[in-house]
Amino acid sequence: MSGVSLRGVGKAYGDTRVVEGLDLDVNPGEFCVFVGPSGCGKSTILRMIAGLESVTEGSISIGGRDVTRVDAAKRGVAMVFQNYALYPHMSVARNMGFALKMAKRPQDEIDARVAAVAETLQISPFLDRRPADLSGGQRQRVAIGRALVRDPEVFLFDEPLSNLDAALRGQTRVEIARLHARLGATMIYVTHDQVEAMTLADRIVVFEAGKVRQVGSPMALYAKPANLFVAGFIGSPGMNVLPGHAEAGRVTVQGVTLDAGVPDGPVTLGVRGEELALCAPGAAPLTGRIVLIERLGGQSLTHMELPDGTMMIAQSSGNTDLAEGETAGIDLAASPRHLFDARGERIGD
Amino acid sequence: MTGLARAGAMKPLLYALLGAYSLVVVLPFFWMFAASFKTTREIFADPFGWPDAPSLDNYARAWEQGIGGYFLNSLLVTVATVVLIIGLSGIAAYGFARLKFRGRALLYTLIIAGYAVPIHTVLVPLYEMLDAAGMLDSYAGLVLPYVAFGIPFSIILLYAFLLEFPKELEEAARLDGCNRWQTIRHVVAPLSLPGLSSVAIFSGVFTWNEFLLGLLILSSDGLKTLPVGLVAFQGAYASDWGALMAGVVLATVPLLVLYMVMQKHFVRSLAGLGK
Repeated sequence: MSGVSLRGVGKAYGDTRVVEGLDLDVNPGEFCVFVGPSGCGKSTILRMIAGLESVTEGSISIGGRDVTRVDAAKRGVAMVFQNYALYPHMSVARNMGFALKMAKRPQDEIDARVAAVAETLQISPFLDRRPADLSGGQRQRVAIGRALVRDPEVFLFDEPLSNLDAALRGQTRVEIARLHARLGATMIYVTHDQVEAMTLADRIVVFEAGKVRQVGSPMALYAKPANLFVAGFIGSPGMNVLPGHAEAGRVTVQGVTLDAGVPDGPVTLGVRGEELALCAPGAAPLTGRIVLIERLGGQSLTHMELPDGTMMIAQSSGNTDLAEGETAGIDLAASPRHLFDARGERIGD
Repeated sequence: MTGLARAGAMKPLLYALLGAYSLVVVLPFFWMFAASFKTTREIFADPFGWPDAPSLDNYARAWEQGIGGYFLNSLLVTVATVVLIIGLSGIAAYGFARLKFRGRALLYTLIIAGYAVPIHTVLVPLYEMLDAAGMLDSYAGLVLPYVAFGIPFSIILLYAFLLEFPKELEEAARLDGCNRWQTIRHVVAPLSLPGLSSVAIFSGVFTWNEFLLGLLILSSDGLKTLPVGLVAFQGAYASDWGALMAGVVLATVPLLVLYMVMQKHFVRSLAGLGK
């Protein structure tokens, strides 16, 4: 098991800088998830670690060895691509054993390792088939198997589940988590799906526009987002945010004044949907008109419009008694809250 | 009338048009094939009929006049030309599709410009050059100009094909330990068969049928290719049409076989060109 270190890593295409001054340590055996919206640079960083993309500035080390200028094949990494990238003209067995063949390992050893990994991933019956004869889920397993056969120091996953349907995505997610638990290998996983990030990661790195916005465990990011971007990105639905103003230790939001020991100035109040305290209309100073209720079976999402047009979402378990068109009271004072300053950075606890 | 109904009503007309067109295409082949089994008298007396007593005499006469040698010469020249065109244009097209280098756009434009040069306009300077190089009346003197004329179109075709080639496969090969050449050998080339087949067919057909350069460059009877050699079957006052048709049939068969073997890749590649 090896860790991965990035020091001052930057990437530019001409005058366009997509990654800037990135410092990050992925610990040995850790499952680290890079998450962020499309175009935030997370895949570029993964590809720089893999050696598929050159590094404009800074250095990358794997297992303490500087690999910044080392060829991709000699970095000890294996990558699972978004589109699987299986060789269509080769059988599953040849796909899985190709790296060992290129390393000139004896055929007996290649066959044995391919068979062992295929057994683990339950793809033994497909070894003689071509990738085109497999389903999406089976192809994904072969792609993972190809990485496993190489016994790499670090596994890299580039949005590996994005081509699967919802049911298969959930199932494969669990299999990847179990695989990590069994191997204890260092894994870096790129996704734009915060559910994948929350369920798989030991540690999440949230990126925005090529910069790290927060690093931490899934629950740490959820409970204490360091900024408005993370607050909106982690959690589904994202955190409700309301602009307000702080003065003399009190914050005024939507005409409601709350105690808060924060410096004077513009602030943003954030409340998680499941922490939003609803009450009867008139029981709290703020009311919202219910415009939509999403009943998801295990939970309900109640979309409310405030008098100034701002939308808020309340999340409750099971079915809700509320109905579209009704009004509900919103007790901001009773709701656990997060406060962010004018720059969108978290203030207070 | 809905679009579907209109398409249904158009179907018989479409079939009639395609049938007529097929007839126009197939009839000369039938005439050529039938004539190769007829006597000269039958060819003129009953041009579109099947011979009463099909005979292989025409093929025997064509063989006696050296068509076997012409056939081998054509095969040698065509195989050498196609192999060189595939090798050179494949590497060049890969370079254009994957490598970023200064002057790439200009170089590609020049290659496209090369495609626009008609062979007839350079016959005299080409003859002078080959004469100066001592390559007149030799296989090399024929193969090298064929390769030069075939490369631009082949590069354009393969470049379009390789632009669509998934980069992830090459990246996966890099991670699996392949260097650039190994990636081309193990991954890119095997998966580029449709494009390479098209190049083989286009350049093969052009080379096999080419007459003008062959006539200009080859003078020894032992080096002549099929189209040049078949000219000898036509005299100023009398032509052996039966033997000529037998020769043309023999010249056509390899192209038909080539197309039948590669047609799946060929059609797929041409379909991909429109993307």
